[in-house]
Amino acid sequence: MNAVLIAQNTFREAIRDRVLAGMVIAGLVLLGLAQVARPLAMGEGLRLTVDLGLSSITMLGLLVVLLVGTSLVAKEIERRTIFNLLSRPLPRPVYLIGKWAGLSGALWLVSATLGLALWGVLAMLGRGAYWAPIAQSVYLAGLELTVVTALAVMFSALSTPVLSSLYTLGFFLAGQWCDDLRTFAQHAPDSLRNLLEFVANVLPNLSLFNMRTLAAVGETTTALHLSLASGYALLYCGCVLALGAAAFESRDFR
Amino acid sequence: MDSRSHMEAAPDAANALAVRPEAGRSAGRSARPAAECAVRIAGLTKTYRSNWSLKTTRGLEDLNLEVQRGEVFGYLGPNGAGKTTTLKILTGLLKPTSGSAWLLGEPIEHVRSRVRLGFLPEQPYFYDYLNGVEYLEFVARLSGVGGREALKAARHWLGRVGLGDREKLVLRKYSKGMLQRLGLAAALVHEPELIILDEPMSGLDPFGRRDVRDLILEQRERGVTVMFSSHILPDVEMLCDRVAILLRGRLERVATVGELVDGAGARIEFRCAGAPLVELPSAWSNCLTRTQRAEETLFTLTDASQQQAVLAWLVSQRVDVRAVTPQRNTLEELFMAAAESSAIHAASERRSA
Repeated sequence: MNAVLIAQNTFREAIRDRVLAGMVIAGLVLLGLAQVARPLAMGEGLRLTVDLGLSSITMLGLLVVLLVGTSLVAKEIERRTIFNLLSRPLPRPVYLIGKWAGLSGALWLVSATLGLALWGVLAMLGRGAYWAPIAQSVYLAGLELTVVTALAVMFSALSTPVLSSLYTLGFFLAGQWCDDLRTFAQHAPDSLRNLLEFVANVLPNLSLFNMRTLAAVGETTTALHLSLASGYALLYCGCVLALGAAAFESRDFR
Repeated sequence: MDSRSHMEAAPDAANALAVRPEAGRSAGRSARPAAECAVRIAGLTKTYRSNWSLKTTRGLEDLNLEVQRGEVFGYLGPNGAGKTTTLKILTGLLKPTSGSAWLLGEPIEHVRSRVRLGFLPEQPYFYDYLNGVEYLEFVARLSGVGGREALKAARHWLGRVGLGDREKLVLRKYSKGMLQRLGLAAALVHEPELIILDEPMSGLDPFGRRDVRDLILEQRERGVTVMFSSHILPDVEMLCDRVAILLRGRLERVATVGELVDGAGARIEFRCAGAPLVELPSAWSNCLTRTQRAEETLFTLTDASQQQAVLAWLVSQRVDVRAVTPQRNTLEELFMAAAESSAIHAASERRSA
């Protein structure tokens, strides 16, 4: 119950923050710019619109995570607002889960809003049938941002906002090439293979959440892919939050 | 009190608060079940270690203390004495290095020890994007108050601390005093059985201080236990049933205000007109001092048994005695004397080391 209260409050904080509104506006402006640039795309205007629209959801969402998520807990510790919460019957892991859930909820809202705007533009271009690949892509982007938010919350609970941003960005970038790293490990010498495979397993496999190429040509992915991605996101978030909670549990608030 | 007479009074006061290790040990040896006390602390120690130099600093050392249910307990000490450290350990914000503590019978390691606890941190900060009602409703619900009751309690307590006409004002527009009042309301909104307040008078004007005093007294009337730290000693003297004095992380003394003040011994002031040319008898050199003021001379006697003899002597010397007034040491004087005594003790310990 208390996790829901913390999540609601974090959601409310994110919604009242100008950053979130700014990101939605930036996403809409990008969509508009894509329409302006469409005649220059040499027949690939539709692909450009879909690709840019979906990429902007992930990138703007990442920017929100870096600007808001990485200071989510650290800011509360620095401003000492956390004293008023943890001195109540609120277990520290529940607090972290609430923070993660609240910001994730806000990011899902941003993703859905921008996804809806993208579908609206496509409908105006006579491609309303693209709703299924757009919905799937937005769903996967939401999952990806949820995973990145879990990392940001974990780092935020243990480090400063600047370092948390760097760690989160590093994990996001490395996570994009997780599959390549695994492939590279297969061809690496034995001594290096185990290490690379371990790193590939620890990093979030974010390429699992990318179906922009399919969506750009109006194709959908399989239910199995969506289920696997959902299960993986849930498991990864659980592990990251458990790790963060274990370290946060012993932290002193001076 | 002028500086000279204060200096004379200091040894008495220091004696009253002389280091008594056994005074604080009672909790550690007590057979009293933890459930009978509002707060029970046994052997609590906290050391901080610097991440860079690995140097350790002592925050609290083997603290033993009991606060009975229904009492108002003052927790005194200079900056860095360990007051906030103790209160933060009790409220789960710091982890003790060793020792145990219980709140209303529940070990502090358990979250449920904080269900019936209200806490006001020192210089509280709040979510500045919320308004007063939203914040109080949020924290009330965190402490287990149901949705509708939480809103009702939030409105009630906002009004109770004098902010009822600013329900919709966001907290970023609150003044320091208003934030302190809101913090108090947040500590009380779920009607806890134990309230821990860290410097509740800090940042408040005289009206605000009076309101806080009234609130604390009102809570005592309800049977609520109040433990608070403060630098404003007259308020402590006025409110507390008992006080604990902490110096350099060690408990120096726990006693009722009356015990402390009476134990320090009274002094008697003889106010005399003009500047009489008399020499103090050597027999009273340890207990009688003279202070010259603009239009009068003040003789201060620290040995009450000599009152009649000194008066007779003054009269025999044709001194115009205007008033003979017994004076009581204030808690502030006792506290200052104890702090000075502890500083001297620590300095001598360092020298001998």
